[in-house]
Amino acid sequence: MKQIAEHKDNAESVIKHAGFSFLYIRNLSPIPVEEVQYHSAVIIEVKNYDFVRLMVSSIRANHSPDIYLKPIFLLKKDAQDQPVLDELSDGAIKGLDELDLVVPTVERISTRVQDLTFTNSISFEAQVITKLITLLYTKEQKTVEPFPYIYSNIGYYFPLLSVNFAQEEETVALDILKIAEEEGILRSDYYDRVYLCSSCSSNHLSYREVCPKCSSSNTTPDDIIHHFPCGYVGPMQDFKNEIDDKLDCPKCNKRLRHIGVDYDKPSVIHECNNCNHKFQDYHVHAKCLSCHSDKSVESLKSTEIMSYRLTKKGELAAIKGFVTTTKDIDEVIGTIKYDTFKTMLKYEIERLKQTEGSSNICAINISNSSQVYSKLGSDLQRGLLKDLVSVIRSNIRSSDVIAFESSSTIVMSMNAIPNKIAKKIIGEMVSLLNDLIKTSFEDLDVLFDTKVVALDYAKTHDAHLKELISDFS
Amino acid sequence: MDELLDNYIRFLATLTPAYFVELFWFYFVFEFVRYFLLEFVVLNLAKIKSIFNKSNKEDARRRLFMENPLVSILIPGKNEGKHLYKLVNSLGEQTYKNIEIIVVCDGSDDDTPIIGRSLEKAGLIDLFIRNEVRGGKASAANTALRFAKGKYIIHLDADCSYDNDAMEKILIPFFEDERVGGVGGNVSVRNYKESLVTTLQGIEYYNTITTGRTVTSYLGIYRIISGAFGAFRADVIHQIKGWDIGPGLDGDITVKIRKKGYKIRFAQDANCLTSVPNTFRKLIKQRLRWDKSLVRFRMRKHKDVLMPTASFKLLDFFSAFENITYNVILNFKWYVYLLIMLTFYRPLFLNIFITNILLYTTTNFVKFIVYSLYREKAHNSMSYFLIYLPCMVFYFGIYLRVVRTIAYIQELFFKKSYQDPWNPRKTSVHAKHLGI
Ligand SMILES: [Zn+2]
Ligand SMILES: [Zn+2]
Ligand SMILES: [Zn+2]
Repeated sequence: MKQIAEHKDNAESVIKHAGFSFLYIRNLSPIPVEEVQYHSAVIIEVKNYDFVRLMVSSIRANHSPDIYLKPIFLLKKDAQDQPVLDELSDGAIKGLDELDLVVPTVERISTRVQDLTFTNSISFEAQVITKLITLLYTKEQKTVEPFPYIYSNIGYYFPLLSVNFAQEEETVALDILKIAEEEGILRSDYYDRVYLCSSCSSNHLSYREVCPKCSSSNTTPDDIIHHFPCGYVGPMQDFKNEIDDKLDCPKCNKRLRHIGVDYDKPSVIHECNNCNHKFQDYHVHAKCLSCHSDKSVESLKSTEIMSYRLTKKGELAAIKGFVTTTKDIDEVIGTIKYDTFKTMLKYEIERLKQTEGSSNICAINISNSSQVYSKLGSDLQRGLLKDLVSVIRSNIRSSDVIAFESSSTIVMSMNAIPNKIAKKIIGEMVSLLNDLIKTSFEDLDVLFDTKVVALDYAKTHDAHLKELISDFS
Repeated sequence: MDELLDNYIRFLATLTPAYFVELFWFYFVFEFVRYFLLEFVVLNLAKIKSIFNKSNKEDARRRLFMENPLVSILIPGKNEGKHLYKLVNSLGEQTYKNIEIIVVCDGSDDDTPIIGRSLEKAGLIDLFIRNEVRGGKASAANTALRFAKGKYIIHLDADCSYDNDAMEKILIPFFEDERVGGVGGNVSVRNYKESLVTTLQGIEYYNTITTGRTVTSYLGIYRIISGAFGAFRADVIHQIKGWDIGPGLDGDITVKIRKKGYKIRFAQDANCLTSVPNTFRKLIKQRLRWDKSLVRFRMRKHKDVLMPTASFKLLDFFSAFENITYNVILNFKWYVYLLIMLTFYRPLFLNIFITNILLYTTTNFVKFIVYSLYREKAHNSMSYFLIYLPCMVFYFGIYLRVVRTIAYIQELFFKKSYQDPWNPRKTSVHAKHLGI
């Protein structure tokens, strides 16, 4: 009985149209998010915005590309603007009879999803970046703009990215964007600055002028009055009388008549109603509405909010799969940073100008890396890279260095040996690597390309590197 | 030259005591009697009194530290920011610790507000009040007074510096005698080596402040608590409702305290160093203002102390009388003397002139050396001043006298002080209207 009811529910929730299957989620209907993967697109009825937000977020925050990449359309009668929801979804319709309008979008997204390669990323950061750039790619969107958003803990929301984080972890989104920029996947422009609580990074702050002595916000300002004829100076309170609302000088009893003629107001003083301290220069405190800390504004974390654009490299990374961030491979033991490698190459070229001799740089590229990585979990990927490096390490001199140019290309120096010998060593290395993979990883086909470039002191280090990796796509 | 000397020696030979008095009555009556004999006698009496008073004084000091009252230090001024850090730091060195520092910035147009605020933030100043519009010295002092919480009020100038026991020393007289309402500190010249004019002022301050005020204080007719360093009982200063508009507000507030029946004391051992004008031109400006205020306050605002009214007090009368006599009247009397000498003793004038110079200079040397025995430890080396003493007769006897004459005439006949930019015009208008 129960099953029938459920089945009936589902039947009502699925709409077949133009060859696509639309999952129609009615207001407040409890449809599990896993259901999404069996359909081409999702339509959400908009009545209760909290519900819509919840549904849209749980789809976009899901880790499976079959779910988070699905087109979402909002069915809303009124045209109320919800910029963040609009950014997270792919369009809106006024009624189910308008389904034709969204069919092209569903078609386009479904096609573009086919272009993508899904690899298992080594790190959490790489996973989240993959989610972001694949979404951007399928939506044919180039920008990641910050949206002012009251539900955001930091005040600005990057919908496609921030949706992955709980409110109190939203600053992680900023870290991820920074990494993506360092990787050359995104480019940034200044957008705004926010001040965040130093204890919990919340932007939900209440600013108040407080007493510099006891930090109470219960203060009263009063004009200071200077009575010219007698030189008396004091807060306006001193000049008030009990009979009328005129002001009388407490020193000489004269009535104040005309500002600028017989008196003026040279400044303002504040009195604290808590500790009676009098002061002119109040402090400004920010009370955090999230963690309730109350600190001076100087202690707040000033944070830049940038808007981002997807680079060509970022687009390619979406298609080819984004496996690691530089940070991840920098952590592989036995390697140096690629930038350091470049610098050392520069010095070696300089050295060759002075002395006779021949040096080389070599590269080993995993030509089917997307395939390889998608078969391996992130721990195994890291293990593979470690193994490769240790084999290479044991076949070159200790004075030579190894670096990752990318997650699929390893570069190394082979200084002070003839080019012919370098080529021979590389050849031996590849067969050793093949042996290693055969023994350590079952059923894994790894294809290696190699290249050796002899250093020529007439050329720059950049030219050398270009030549070295030009054959690898 | 020889002829001149011969002539002079012959002149000296003709001098009998009676003839001496006839020719030099001005020196004899005013300088010798008032400024030498009287001072010498009083200094000795004061010394004797202080020896007998020693245990009383120690007891007063003990009571001061036992009671440990809060003392409010008021520092009003315009564009004094550059001095503030040094001053506030030196106040931290004081032996008397229970102080609150209130700085009022009276419409400064330099970076005083920034300096003051940061010192306040750092906790070196308890309260910094910035008045956007300048109100004048009195209003600035009154602003500070309004927010002072201390039982005693000490008024300082930002560009002065203080011995580290100065606050303690200026407070002790309040505990020696409960009828004391105000105490003046001893002011000496810090930049006495800067130029001839500052050196001469250094000597002048010794004579008129260190020695002069010790004497007037003993006699009960001490009349000016310097703005640079003065202490007041808070209840007394509130009774007289603070400072009235200047210039000369230092003397004014002292008179007002006296009128309320309180005693005024001079604390010679409470040392303050001040920078004085370093050129004759700047000094003229300062003295014109000071001298005008004497007329304005003594003879105009507080002329009642000279009248036999109900509130008449003998000491107040003497204080004002002595002040007016030895300044205003004496100043004009000198011209009378000059005129008489020029008219009736014309052939002898050169000799009389030389003798006067010798008389005054000799007196200056004797006074300076003898009186130094009555001065407490001093910052400045006494010997430095000796070679400059011969200049004093010209500085004090002629230069300052001429300046004073101009000031008196300007004020008596033209009420010039109401135009002094030292006070904002908006306040002077009212002061003139009220005749204060
Ligand atoms: Zn307070
Ligand atoms: Zn008044
Ligand atoms: Zn917080």
